[in-house]
Amino acid sequence: MSGGPPDVVGAWLHSYEEDTETAAVYRPADHPFRPSRRPRRGLEFRADGTFTDLRPGPDDRPREVAGRWRSEEDGRLRITFPAGDGAPSDLSVISCADGVLTIAK
Amino acid sequence: MTEPTLSPPPARDLCGTMLVHRRLLNESMSYRSQRAVIENRALQYEIGRLSSARRGPVTIPVVVHVVANRDHPEQNIDEEQIHSQFTVLNQDFRAANPDVSKVPDVWKHLVADTGVEFRLATRDPNGEPTDGIVRVVTDRSGFDHRDGVKSSRTGGSDPWPSDRYLNMWVCQLTGSLLGYAAFPGQPPHLDGVVIGHSFFGTTGTAAAPGNPFNGGRTTTHEIGHWLNLFHIWGDDDGACSSDDKVADTPNQADANTGMPTFPHVTCDNGPNGDMFMNYMDYTDDAGMYMFTKGQLARINACLEGPRASFLAARPIPEAARTDTARRGGGRDSVPDGEVERLLHDSERLTTEVLNDIRAALDTVTGHSRG
Repeated sequence: MSGGPPDVVGAWLHSYEEDTETAAVYRPADHPFRPSRRPRRGLEFRADGTFTDLRPGPDDRPREVAGRWRSEEDGRLRITFPAGDGAPSDLSVISCADGVLTIAK
Repeated sequence: MTEPTLSPPPARDLCGTMLVHRRLLNESMSYRSQRAVIENRALQYEIGRLSSARRGPVTIPVVVHVVANRDHPEQNIDEEQIHSQFTVLNQDFRAANPDVSKVPDVWKHLVADTGVEFRLATRDPNGEPTDGIVRVVTDRSGFDHRDGVKSSRTGGSDPWPSDRYLNMWVCQLTGSLLGYAAFPGQPPHLDGVVIGHSFFGTTGTAAAPGNPFNGGRTTTHEIGHWLNLFHIWGDDDGACSSDDKVADTPNQADANTGMPTFPHVTCDNGPNGDMFMNYMDYTDDAGMYMFTKGQLARINACLEGPRASFLAARPIPEAARTDTARRGGGRDSVPDGEVERLLHDSERLTTEVLNDIRAALDTVTGHSRG
């Protein structure tokens, strides 16, 4: 990915039906997704640097984990969580355009 | 489903105010403590140290909150669709569903009639006659997973007392959610199940062509959680490290979706593999058709623990009251003394846990209560 950091601000849900071997595809939360018994994983990036990870939970709804995000080099996003809520992690953005966020698996 | 790979460099991030942190910690500790008590009780039933005192079926009074957008009248589902859901529930929870015959021979002996039935409430919280259906018109185009449908302040419908009614909210859900539940131990104002209207019952908006969730099984699954059942794969993301705390359901790696073919072997659970036809997996509605006896033990632990009020508060039909009074007896499923003991146990444990939490918080903050 070239140019400036990817503009990922927004709420995204995993459109797992569109995944490839190497990439996970996310679309905006208001996309007309097919109903899914398995809750879709969600990523919420806000302009103020806060982040919410929505992970499938035991009661069939997403379990929210709050953290922070920032852009790094080469399209990487650094995600951090308060102590005890999860290890810091990196997401590698392959592309983010036309309402499709693609992240390397 | 494979999630993006996450790599962990060292970091530390302290954010948020202590006030918010303490509130969340307090709520979390209270819930977790209650869950520990509930799980301890479930374990006692699972290993046979406690057994159910229940002698007959229990009927759960239900209030259905239909929350519909004013510009989308189809969300205001009709009575036929609501009643079709109760038909499904009263078959599924009594092992009277026609498709129970599809259970593989190796597991037929595990099929459980849970002895739990559901009916629309006939009396509201004030004792007035009701059809058990509350209809609310909302400006909200839909509701997400954050409980907004459970309060009139956020465009939803306020619950009826959760110790006397199972609250079911039916609405337009966003984010492709089918429904979600509350495990026992949640605060009363959040207790109940939420179901998308297109997945509630078998007629009306649930009967749309191509809908694989048209059999009313979303509600069966969510009430399973309400009665303290876990997902059959143990919510461990395929790790095989955790199960559903039920011995007669094989440990399996992850959720099954769609319509799997028997056997589907994971976690070295051959030759029979995953019990993907269990209501607590994630298959299509047509692919799930059984609870097990082990799951029934957990349901009984729940009904005789955190939800014991539903055993104690069974209404006696008017016609039977005179006769019951003459005989000096009451409920036919559980002896009165046993119900009182269960209720007393539950209340005592809850009080002890809350006192422990307060004491722990006071110790941490150096605050002394009078």
